[in-house]
Amino acid sequence: MSVVVVGAGLAGLTAAAGLAARGVEVTVFEARERVGGRTHGIEVAPGAWVDAGAAYLGDRHTALTALLAELDLKTTPTTMTGASRFALGGDDGRTRAGRFPPLSAVALGELFDALDELDRGVRAEAPWLSADAARLDRLTAAEWAREHLRHPDARLFFPLFLGEMMAADPADVSVLHLAFYLRSGGGIRYLNAFAGGAQENRIDGGAHQVCRRLAAGLGDRVRLGEPVRAIHQDGDGVTVVAATGSVRARAAVVAVPPTLADTIDHRPGLPVPRSGARTAPGCAVKVHLVYPAPAWREQGLSGWSVNARGPLLSTVDDSPADGGVGVLTGFVTGREAHRYAALPAAEQREQAFAQAARLFPGLPEPIGCHVTDWVHEDYSRGCYAALFGPGDWSRLGPRLAVPHQRVHWAGTETSTEFFGLMEGAIRSGHRVAAEINAMYRWRDIHD
Amino acid sequence: MNVNAVSDVFRRVLENPEVSADSDFFVMGGDSLLATRVLSAIARASGVELDFDDFLDAPTPSALAKKIASQA
Repeated sequence: MSVVVVGAGLAGLTAAAGLAARGVEVTVFEARERVGGRTHGIEVAPGAWVDAGAAYLGDRHTALTALLAELDLKTTPTTMTGASRFALGGDDGRTRAGRFPPLSAVALGELFDALDELDRGVRAEAPWLSADAARLDRLTAAEWAREHLRHPDARLFFPLFLGEMMAADPADVSVLHLAFYLRSGGGIRYLNAFAGGAQENRIDGGAHQVCRRLAAGLGDRVRLGEPVRAIHQDGDGVTVVAATGSVRARAAVVAVPPTLADTIDHRPGLPVPRSGARTAPGCAVKVHLVYPAPAWREQGLSGWSVNARGPLLSTVDDSPADGGVGVLTGFVTGREAHRYAALPAAEQREQAFAQAARLFPGLPEPIGCHVTDWVHEDYSRGCYAALFGPGDWSRLGPRLAVPHQRVHWAGTETSTEFFGLMEGAIRSGHRVAAEINAMYRWRDIHD
Repeated sequence: MNVNAVSDVFRRVLENPEVSADSDFFVMGGDSLLATRVLSAIARASGVELDFDDFLDAPTPSALAKKIASQA
């Protein structure tokens, strides 16, 4: 029994490790010269790593938590102490205790009530079957906001909230996708919270280590620099054509984002594509500013900020736990990510430095700056995850996790649980490994 | 809005039936996001718009009901 896995991110490697453990002969083709997909580590100072991609987890992320224990990786809390900075008007920033923005609490409460109502109306395991699905799938979140949000503070905050939560511009996602995303991730409170929520912990030393350790266990079964061009199936198996040759196997797992899965030449062709014209890349650029020390803490500041104007729409203290350098991570999301990603590198640095200096007066010049543009990553096409636009769930949803004969699907976008998160990717890897084991093992015995 | 009505709002938002007149919202797992939903429910029911600091000052149904009464 042999299986080819396409993509060495969390989903692909979880699937490959699960299959290998059941005695399946696996080959993993990875397009990049590294494993990890949308997890990626940057060493900002000797031995100090930050997450250029996915970073956070909470206690409901049970598959990831179990995998970390298996791989002997630890977590570190994202504890925030100190006051926040908010630049939500024309000013350079206001200091306020806690994480709550200086906006009308009643207006934000109405926004969250409305989002909670969307969450409660959706069927997580099959959003396209939700009550009113057809209408919610036609409407964009931007159109919904114009109709439902009256208070200017709610209108100001909604795109910032969506950008931070799912790296989306409100015009890019359908209301059905927004509702589904909330439900899938455990609701607005869980998705939004650091303590007691989905951002409670980081992985000590960086999230990239998960894939590195999974790949180390698979050894030379993982082949880097091998973008897959075609998957041809016949009655007996699949032929997976990569850059330097092809491999024959009983089945294949495609564990790449939907728009990338559509670049593979599938024969026979897919009955329904994996993505549509309105499927957008998750719009995230992550900026890491490295300082000799987290000096904002001496001023009683947590490093957390929320800003109406870019490029850094929010910042968070991501300093490594060892007490060395200070790292301020800036999130550039939604529409702002497109604008910022198009700038020359020098201009990107200048804008990020200037904004950080306005937000946290008295900071020295950064000693390092790393800009990770996920929007234009050829082998991710966006981050945190694909954004399902109008019509996508109705058309693509019913087949997202349904095998195309011998081609099986994994990836965080195929998981209705914790869609878009590391947890969703890992659950999809487990699901697909069990699916293949059940389907082909049974045939092996009875053929 | 009396203390029972405020308690009901706490129960709904916290999704926890175990709320009494002296339950502290933030001790019971309430965070700033959930707090805004309490404040919007109060505004809808009583017309009184409290802010986040008011709630921090008066985090129990009984204290919050007094605050609402004093501003109504």
